[in-house]
Amino acid sequence: MQIDFENVSKHYGSFQAISNFSLHIKSASLHFLLGPSGCGKTTLIRLLAGLEDASSGRLLFGGQDATAIPPAARGVGMVFQNYALWPHMSCQENIEYGLNLRKISREEKNQKVSEVLKLTHLEECRRKYPGQLSGGQQQRVALARALAIEPKILLLDEPLSNLDAKLRSEMREYLLEIHAKTQITTIYVTHDQREALSMGTEVSVLNRGQLLQTGTPKELYHEPTSLFLAKFIGETNLIDGFIDKTASDGMIVKTTLGNINTPRNETLAKIGQPVTLSIRPEAIAVSLKEKNSDELNILPAQITNTVFFGDMEQLTAKIGKEGQLKVHRCYTGASEMPLGAAITCFLPKAQIRVFAQEGAT
Amino acid sequence: MASSAVFIQNKKTPLLLYAASALIILFLFFFLLLPVGVILIKALQDEEGQFTLQYFSLIWQNESYLLAIANSFKLAAMTTISCLAISFPLALINSRFSYPGKKIFSVLLLAPLVLPPFVAAVGINKLFAKFGAVNLMLQEIGIISEMIDWMHSDNLFAVVVLLETIHLFPILYLNIMAAIANIDPSLEEAASILGASRLKRFRDIIWYLARPGIFAGASIVFVFAFTDLGTPLLTGWTDNVAVKIFDLVTSAASNPMGYALVILVLAVVATSFVTSRFLYARTSYPTLAKGHVQKIEEKASSATKMIFVLANIILLTLALAPHLSVLIASFSEKWFMTILPTEIGLNHYRDIWQEPISIIGIKNSLALSVVATLIDMVLGFGIAFIVTRKLLPFSNFLDGLVMLPLAIPGIVLAFGYVVCYTDTFLDPLNNPTFLLIVAYSIRRLPFMVRAASAGLSQLSLSLEEASYTLGASKSLTIYKISLPLTFANILAGAIFCFAFTMLDVSDSLILAMKDRFYPLTKAIYALYLEQGRGENLACALGSIGMLILALALSLVSIILGKKMGELFRG
Repeated sequence: MQIDFENVSKHYGSFQAISNFSLHIKSASLHFLLGPSGCGKTTLIRLLAGLEDASSGRLLFGGQDATAIPPAARGVGMVFQNYALWPHMSCQENIEYGLNLRKISREEKNQKVSEVLKLTHLEECRRKYPGQLSGGQQQRVALARALAIEPKILLLDEPLSNLDAKLRSEMREYLLEIHAKTQITTIYVTHDQREALSMGTEVSVLNRGQLLQTGTPKELYHEPTSLFLAKFIGETNLIDGFIDKTASDGMIVKTTLGNINTPRNETLAKIGQPVTLSIRPEAIAVSLKEKNSDELNILPAQITNTVFFGDMEQLTAKIGKEGQLKVHRCYTGASEMPLGAAITCFLPKAQIRVFAQEGAT
Repeated sequence: MASSAVFIQNKKTPLLLYAASALIILFLFFFLLLPVGVILIKALQDEEGQFTLQYFSLIWQNESYLLAIANSFKLAAMTTISCLAISFPLALINSRFSYPGKKIFSVLLLAPLVLPPFVAAVGINKLFAKFGAVNLMLQEIGIISEMIDWMHSDNLFAVVVLLETIHLFPILYLNIMAAIANIDPSLEEAASILGASRLKRFRDIIWYLARPGIFAGASIVFVFAFTDLGTPLLTGWTDNVAVKIFDLVTSAASNPMGYALVILVLAVVATSFVTSRFLYARTSYPTLAKGHVQKIEEKASSATKMIFVLANIILLTLALAPHLSVLIASFSEKWFMTILPTEIGLNHYRDIWQEPISIIGIKNSLALSVVATLIDMVLGFGIAFIVTRKLLPFSNFLDGLVMLPLAIPGIVLAFGYVVCYTDTFLDPLNNPTFLLIVAYSIRRLPFMVRAASAGLSQLSLSLEEASYTLGASKSLTIYKISLPLTFANILAGAIFCFAFTMLDVSDSLILAMKDRFYPLTKAIYALYLEQGRGENLACALGSIGMLILALALSLVSIILGKKMGELFRG
């Protein structure tokens, strides 16, 4: 079932949790809502569940206005961050709860419970109480309970945040598998960008109650539309400067590192405009040979720090008196770059993104 | 994030909820605010309905009232000081040192708090009678040759202070313990590293940071001692405000002095709480690094340990002796001119069942307490649910309102009922049943609301929300999720309510005026006043009361001792 937010706002007293939020979520998709703590993503999911009322705007399920439908009648399944399993009920009783409220025959109920237990690999835990289960099992019971009522929409509120790293990675694959099997429109809330980038087909990034960008993980990483996004997703080098020259195919930005040739940004292409350049550490190419070049984007540097991560190496390259860049390079052991070595950094023009400086108009 | 601070404000607040809240507020208005309000108005109005302060000036001119007021202040002050003298060192020792039997002593120290001082007063008369156990023991050891008249009217003040102290010191002890427990040991360690001696550390750190707890506890002790009716009444020390008010109940309509005295009591209570709040605010410091406060217990030398154990034993013996004496008296067949009874048996317990007034007392108290407790369970859970889930715009107001009975002493409320409802269909002189139930339930309602709120606040909101998303209504969710998961708290609260209602003193003594309506405590009082075997029957009846209390509290500790999850597991 497709979901549409139409200019939805939500405030608590004077605090604006969500402002003027519009988003279309495709039917049967696995859509991620990603953002830092307090950005409003949990509020959005609670609005979808009917646990909160929107202050203004509309919410459409399959094109039908669902804004005023009470939670009990929405047909939405939800997995809470803390799972919200009822400790006084066994796994089976937890899972049956929603089915008991829908007047269906005992056979049908038993069949559905067995199906979800099988789907979630919980057959052996049927009679156990939540307190007797591991974190991963509890998470699956919560999922089974939400799936048992055959929801049209499944809401997952940071479902993996209480698990350890290993279990989290197992559960990621498992959730993808469940989604592929059930094809239920699923909204997945997380603050973990790795989770969103690795699992999502479509990700919406929020900050301060506003939608910043929706796109595929690759689009968000490589084509961020704002400085916040460039900083929030992945690591990046930020270089402040102002536009010195503009041309039809690019701009020259004066920075502490020197003049840098960047792609043209139509909205900012104005001489004197303060800008911030962003370039990913892995996009910078380095070579040991010092090259005194007047060519733009080729910068002589000196290595001031190296951090070894196993598969890759992070170099800190000092440029000029104050400039500094972080560089990630694949580590093969073939060419060592010792501390203090003179190197050359190359910043490919196509990899540089130009944003307005924070606070600048 | 789902937290208790988040409103569940989906859909409109049902009309039924407003109606239920309106009923609760009306109930509290008629049986809490109105009685106090009427007294206030009557105390400030002359016969023509004009504003006057003449009754207060009459108090000022009446030596007997002035003496009573001065005595009550003296009693409250002395009780507070002696409670502090016991509680502070005790809390300091128990929070810092480990010694044998500490856990058991810590539990037993709370026993005097729950044992009724009213019954202790009966016991103290037995112990300190001219030919009572204490005198006989002192004579036997050879300390005295002539019997001392401990209970002479000149000594009664000291006896009441002693009884109030042994009853109330655990309140201060608990408050100081909590305050000391919150002091991070590293603060003391930092001073120690800098070279501060134990005494200096105590003076500069512990004393300073524990003061808010002391003020909070001291104000409660002060107010309790000031307004207690049962203990002075049974000890025979009548020159104090509480007993004066009790005496004025019957002539409330014709003698306006009672109103003025009640207002005075309310003013003292209010001043005491406001002062304590002010001192609390002045002396409390925000903790900078409030992390995990690790408890560090020091190991004491063997001699010191011995002193600690002995101090605990002496304190407990003193504190529990009156109650123990009641228990012994209830079994004594022959106890005359000897330290302990020479014959024991169950005659008094058998006689209770032949004495109409004791049967009436037990029956009435059981029935009244059960009904009052049921009312508290329903109201308490309902109010706690509304307040913790912020279901109404005025949830906080409701919360404040139900906590008011904590600040209104029993004698004030009972006096207010007599004033307000005499000559109406609720006249306590005709039949006090309804007003007794209402008084019992209102006075214990704050405890029930607190108990249910504690359970509901610990219950993650998402447990209820999960139920809503699966299609359950609010009422079904309360029935299936919230109630079963907070049942242990509600049950514990209910048992507390029941036990304390069974042994309620001020409402029972003031409101039940005819024999057939006497609750347990008034029956004990009536039997106690009887010459001859009455005193022993009162002891037997008092022991039954203590037994009920002991059973109830054991039940609570069993229920609360089990973890919530385990309680519901098969």
